[in-house]
Amino acid sequence: MSSIKDSVTVNEDDANLLVLIIDTNQMNWTKVANKQAMGNCLTLQQILRQLLAFINAHLALKHDNEVAVIASHIGVSKFLYPIPTTRQKTRRSHGDSDQSSNSNMYQRFRVIDDQVTSNMKALFENEALKSCPDKVSSMMAGALSLALCYINRITKSDEIGHIKSRILIISVSPDSPYQYISIMNCIFSAQKLGIPIDVCKISESDNSVFLQQASHITGGRYLRLSIDQSRGFLHFLMKTFLPDRFVRRHLCLPGDEKVDFGAACFCHKKTINIGYVCSVCLSIYCQQLEECSTCRSKVTNGVKRSKTNESL
Amino acid sequence: MSKPSSKSKEFFIDIDDETQNVNQQSGYVWEEEYKRSWDVLQEDEDGSLKRSIDHLQNRLKRKRLLRDTSTIRRGIIRNMFLIIDLSEAMMEKDLRPSRLDLTLSYAEQFILEFFDQNPISQLGIIVSKGGVAERLTGLSGNPMDNIIALKNKKNIDVDGEPSLQNSLELARSSLIHTPTHGSREILLIMGSLTSCDPGDIYESIEDLVKDNVRVSIVGLSAEVQICKYICKRTKGTYGVVLNEAHFKDLLFEIIPPPPVSVAQSNSKLVMMGFPSSVNQSSPYLCACHNKPVTSGYTCARCNSNICDIPTECPICELTLVSSPHLARSYHHLFPVENYTEVPWNSATTTHCFACQISFPSLSERTLPKNLETSSGRYNCQKCNQHFCIDCDVFVHEAIHNCPGCLATSQNNLKSLMGQVNGNFENYENYEKMNLS
Repeated sequence: MSSIKDSVTVNEDDANLLVLIIDTNQMNWTKVANKQAMGNCLTLQQILRQLLAFINAHLALKHDNEVAVIASHIGVSKFLYPIPTTRQKTRRSHGDSDQSSNSNMYQRFRVIDDQVTSNMKALFENEALKSCPDKVSSMMAGALSLALCYINRITKSDEIGHIKSRILIISVSPDSPYQYISIMNCIFSAQKLGIPIDVCKISESDNSVFLQQASHITGGRYLRLSIDQSRGFLHFLMKTFLPDRFVRRHLCLPGDEKVDFGAACFCHKKTINIGYVCSVCLSIYCQQLEECSTCRSKVTNGVKRSKTNESL
Repeated sequence: MSKPSSKSKEFFIDIDDETQNVNQQSGYVWEEEYKRSWDVLQEDEDGSLKRSIDHLQNRLKRKRLLRDTSTIRRGIIRNMFLIIDLSEAMMEKDLRPSRLDLTLSYAEQFILEFFDQNPISQLGIIVSKGGVAERLTGLSGNPMDNIIALKNKKNIDVDGEPSLQNSLELARSSLIHTPTHGSREILLIMGSLTSCDPGDIYESIEDLVKDNVRVSIVGLSAEVQICKYICKRTKGTYGVVLNEAHFKDLLFEIIPPPPVSVAQSNSKLVMMGFPSSVNQSSPYLCACHNKPVTSGYTCARCNSNICDIPTECPICELTLVSSPHLARSYHHLFPVENYTEVPWNSATTTHCFACQISFPSLSERTLPKNLETSSGRYNCQKCNQHFCIDCDVFVHEAIHNCPGCLATSQNNLKSLMGQVNGNFENYENYEKMNLS
């Protein structure tokens, strides 16, 4: 599957656009915080603080580095930064109160920090979202689609191909099966555009199958942090995900495991080596059937076996 | 070229003239004299041309977009032969740099894109020159083999006239061995206006029809009656290029899998292997190229070593794929609905939902001399979000997801899935698969 890995040439002086997708499912963050020993809880608030430090570090690396932040929340995914100007004005007045405390802070850092925190606050205060039935997963497919559209726009407006983009996903929620096709679509278009997807998964034991595929297919990095490790969250971020695409070629980064894409049949969910695939809808079965249970089409004459198989 | 029977000849020539008048408003590249491109441009109040150029560009992008989004059954597994005319007519320079050079570079792009969108399909190449047809590559699932064959200078020198009948017969004889669950297709790029055939081509055409082979032809010079007849009989498409860009459009129209004809619409379960990957410290020989490799896959049935998938096992002929390859084809089954243009009176949004670019405001509604502008907003019927033209194109051509539908409430999402997949009742099946 390593067909297009970094087909785009990267240069040392390229600007980097980092699109950060933060999984903001507060239920799952609470779960993570509860599992830790009392005293050194890693709450979403602390994560956010460390992420902001990471964003600032990214911006500080080069003067023309850009960043975009998207929240993948329960039932909705939304841009946290940048947001269009009309709304920005109202935010500005909102954030005025803590301006005095940070008067020594670099202007660009402060604008981003303020916007991300205030927009995230607004997201959590949004009552309408609390009634969403599915509280377990987050809208990762939507966030990835938004990220790709944004990257597409920025790349198009940059005629000399100076900006190189990458996506970093901070994930805490389990995969939502409903999003399988849409996430795969996103992965393939990212692969085509040559955008690596980095994934940082915070979980005690489970790997995210979708996101593992995402980073494997697009040539990004996949890193799973157990909850104990995640106390050094900022440290991992800085060491693994801060290097841009040019520098990465010279580094030996963690998370280069081989991923095996086993297939499971639709009927018994067994992992199989040889299966039967419906020619209409590409569903996989472990045995021959009369009727494809996905597309309800009648199967004729069973399987056409290859010539050699018959003669064997 | 062999003579068609007089009756059918008259009939089709009549049709030719009619469609020519209706559809071909703009001329072919070889009959074009000059363009008065400055007539369509109008300055706005600041004396700038930007907005009217943008407007024209948007119309152009949009034209390419409207496509069929109904959930019809498509032949995902395809077997295709690409036939390239290598007659002397290909040396003409009306398409720059020459018909041949442009054809070869587009053919390469076509092959890459074809395998990208149809990962479990197969493609082979036939060239036709000096009255004979020659097979460069047999049907294979590997894009690089085909491209390397096209890059070989020895394979692409031009000579004499092409032979329609010989090349179609050669393609047909290779295609009839393919299993019936896959579609059989021929794509012919034809530069010459003549053909040098050994027998009655109408018999060959009837054979093609009988064997369910679909022939699509892209003509580089002018419309040829026999080509049109072939495409009509075999339910393919026939197009004659107007210019370089149109050539590419015509070729790339063939890439999405075609709807399945009624005759072959019964489904089959195809046996496929999902090979496991291997990494070894010492090199071993692969079964497909006989070259030493250190990493690759082993066939799920006969344990032979393969260097890359998707492919057909060279030893036991089992189709070898991985689950992401199958996933690559899903977007053909669940296409995104076309967005509709938003009229100015309901253009209330200020920025694109997906990329956050700001929309033109109401004050920019009209250009001087009352040239009508569009609001620049495009609406998804399902989630009612507005998108800009670039996102519209990008969503339909690259992502194949509507960001609006996916980024708003999941509640809606489930009901949406139900609507989209009317004929896929057990949609949930797909989800289970990935949790392997």
